[in-house]
Order: sequence, then structure tokens, then C-alpha cells
Amino acid sequence: MNHFGSVVAAYMFIWGILMVYQFSVSRRVSNLRQEVERLKETLERGKRN
Amino acid sequence: MSVENKSSAALQALASILVSAMIGIAIYGAFIWAPNEKTMGFLQRIFYFHAASGQVMILAFSIVFIGNVCYLLRRKPEWDWLATSAVEVGLVFNTISLVTGPIWAKPAWGIWWDWDARLTSTFVLWILYIAYLLLRRLIENPERRAVVSSVFGVFAFLDVPLVYFSIWWWRTQHPPPLIFKPGGLSPEMLKVFMFTMASLSALMVIMIWQRYKLESLRHTVEELKIEAEYRNDGGAR
Amino acid sequence: MNSHAKSVGLTRATASVFAKELRVEFRSFEILTSTIIFALIVVFVFSFAFNPSAADSRRFGAGFIWIALLFASALMLQPSFTRERTNDTIAALVLAPIDPFAIIAGKLFANFFFLVLVELVLLPAFSVLYNVPLLGIIGPLSGVMLLGTFGIATVGTVFAAISSQARMRELLLPLLLLPALVPLLIACTGATMGLLAESPELPISWLAVMACFDLVFFTAAWLFGGYLLEE
Repeated sequence: MNHFGSVVAAYMFIWGILMVYQFSVSRRVSNLRQEVERLKETLERGKRN
Repeated sequence: MSVENKSSAALQALASILVSAMIGIAIYGAFIWAPNEKTMGFLQRIFYFHAASGQVMILAFSIVFIGNVCYLLRRKPEWDWLATSAVEVGLVFNTISLVTGPIWAKPAWGIWWDWDARLTSTFVLWILYIAYLLLRRLIENPERRAVVSSVFGVFAFLDVPLVYFSIWWWRTQHPPPLIFKPGGLSPEMLKVFMFTMASLSALMVIMIWQRYKLESLRHTVEELKIEAEYRNDGGAR
Repeated sequence: MNSHAKSVGLTRATASVFAKELRVEFRSFEILTSTIIFALIVVFVFSFAFNPSAADSRRFGAGFIWIALLFASALMLQPSFTRERTNDTIAALVLAPIDPFAIIAGKLFANFFFLVLVELVLLPAFSVLYNVPLLGIIGPLSGVMLLGTFGIATVGTVFAAISSQARMRELLLPLLLLPALVPLLIACTGATMGLLAESPELPISWLAVMACFDLVFFTAAWLFGGYLLEE
């Protein structure tokens, strides 16, 4: 099995970058969802006052 | 969760499972089912995901181009969301192609990199679309950002075939000492390659879909902020 | 009725903008002098960095010329739009009853003109400093320079309009422009190399690539450039 290490390295990179991107998108989504909740709350309070 | 959100979430879960399964099968195909290549042996198995990533990258950037043109003509923000999502996803596959290529090339041909038409075009694409994202980050106003980046996107996309051709022609005029020959593909190899391309394309679709929802969410935040500011200023006063 | 009126308007409007750009520049010559000096400095620096022999100069001279021009234009093109922002004269231009592309085109031709002026200094300087005779090939060389410069002016002016709307515009323009001009750089260098060789020949294929580049991007500028000037 020549160059098994190279093949593994390549596929691990692919998996790694996909995970990193996935993580990045999820984190941004959850940050924005929190922001939405916060803004909705502020607006509700504004309406009540 | 509303009914709409539930069915959308269910659809997304189903799609994710399907794509994961496809990729699993593709990996099995690439690692086990496909025959060993004559000259390069086991190393050649990088090719399946490397080349497929290259194709998916082109697909993604084509979607960007469509989004750019449609936005400029129709001015619906959704087109801009689609374009920017496809840029990020395209860049992911672009990076995969740029990194796995040298990992394959060095053991196979002894050099990490070569300035041939395909590699150079891939690299220029990478630079241009990173510039696209940077440009977006440097413009505050959402409409201006969308218009300006869309025009840039059109130019970037039109540029790439010219890059490819000019380098190809240069290399024909000044042939390098070493020319890559990836070798022919047996029917089994072709099947694996096609399937890998299909599964990565499906993955691309899901990634763009997810990223698009992020963009839509960002738009919601911006609208809510505007509304909050308006209320703070005392409304119609 | 309107389309004919607009197309006459387009040429006249472009000419007016072009004339205005020239008038503004010829008042102070700021951009031209700085650009010429910068291009000359690049040529000097190359000669120190590479110390080329006569044969080297023939082989690499093409690259030196075009890189000097590319760097110079990346710096010189930005003011065509940022100058307008200080007094917001761009708003006045856009409000005029003309096709917005006339503004882009007028600036495009003005930038083309200025770049040609820079070349009129750069080429003799290169010829003298590197001992490469250019008079024998001046005809074909002019053709190559004009075609190439038009491409730089076209993409450069549009990208200057793009970067003028962003922060960090002085850094952004070269970053956007240099990768996009790669095909033109290759074609221009290829054509110029052919001309500078011991037995000069003009590779028509490179001219075709340059013409294609110019055509594609001028058309793209015509179709989409106007959008960049909306407020």
C-alpha cells in the first residue's frame, strides 16, 4: 500500500475542513438566533410601554 | 415550532441522512471497491474526491454567477443570499481541491505545484472569490453591498475561462519539461468518480441551503434592528 | 424615439466626461506625474534586483514593462472615483440626464489616455536603461501596448468604481485588479516577448486573446457598470 499516509492525510483534510465549515455556520446561526430573541424581547417591552 | 418549521426540519434531516449515506458509499467505492491504479497504486484514490471537489467548485461558482446576474436584473435580496452562500461553499470545495492536489502530486510526480492551466485557474478562482467575500465585508449598506459584489462576481466569473485559456496557450507555446498525465480511467473507476461527484454535489446543495438560511436569518436581524431603532426614536415623531 | 436619442446622448455624454477628466487632471498633473515617477521607480528597482544582462533584458523585459504598468495603474486608477467623493461631484454626474455608462466610459477612456501617456515615458526609459532597441518594432509594439492598456483601463475603471464604495479602498483595488488581469498580463507579456526577441515576430494568437479580453470586459462594463453608480 504505497503512500497510504498521503491518502489518509488528504481525506482527513477534506473531513476536517467540512467539519470546520459546518461548525462555523452552526455557530453563526445560533448567535443570530440569540440576537433575534433579544431584539424581539426589546420590541415586546417597547410595545408594552 | 410551527408546522412549517417542523416539516422543513424533517426535510433537512432526511436530506442530511441521504447525503451522508451517499458519501459513505462513495468513500467505500473510493477506498475499497475501485481497483488499484497501475502506476500510482493506492495513492491514486485521492483522485476521486479531489477531482469531484474541483467539479463541484465549478458548479458552486456557476450558481454564484446566476445569483449575481439575477440579483442585478431583479433586485430581490434572495438572489444575493444565494450568491453569497454559494461563494462560501464554493470556496470550501476550492480549498479542498487546492490542498488535496499537492498531497497527491508530490508522491506521484515529485513536485507540490505546477503553474499549468487547471491549477492556476483554480488558484485564481480562490483568490477572486476570497476577494469577493472581503469586498462584501468592507461595504456596510446591504443594497450597495449586494449590487457591488454582484458586479464584481460577474467580472470574476467571466475572467476565469480567459485565465484558463491564456495559460493553456502559454504552455502550448512554451512546453514545460514535465507534463502531468493522470492516466486513463477504467469503467469501475469512472463509476466511482461519477458517484462521488453526485454525492459531493448533493452535499454542496445541503451546505448552500444551510448557509442560505443563515443569510435569511441575518436579514431578519437587520429588519428587527431597524424596527427597534424606529421604536426607540419614538415612532412617527 | 428614446433609444436613438439616448445613443447619441451616450457618445456625447462620454465625450463630455472624458473632456472633464482631462481638464481636471491637466489643472494639476498630480496623478500623471506621480504615476510616471512610480513606473520609473519600478523599472529602476527591477534593474537593481535582477541585474539583467542584455540577453536577460530581451527575455524578461516584457514582464518588467507590464508589471510596472500594472502596479502603476493599480495606484493610479483609484483617484478617478475617490476624487469625486471629496466634493460629492459624483452625485452631480449621476443626476445628469445621461446613461450612467457614459460616466464609466468617459473615465475609462480618460484612464486609457493617461496610461498611454505613462507608457510614452516608460518605454523610452526602459529602452535606454536596459539597452533594448525599440524603434524597429515601434509599430507592432504600439498595437500591443494599446490593446493591453485598453484592457487594463476597462477592468481597472470598473474595479475602481467597485472599490470606491468600500472601506480600505487603496488596498482593495490592487487586490481585486491584479488577479483579474492575469490573462491580459500573460497575453501582453507573450506578445511583447515575441517582439523583443532577436528576430521579432508578432504572435497573432496573443493579440486575439487581448482583443477577446477587451471585448468581453468592455461589454460587461456596458451591461453592468451603470449599476455601480446608483445611489
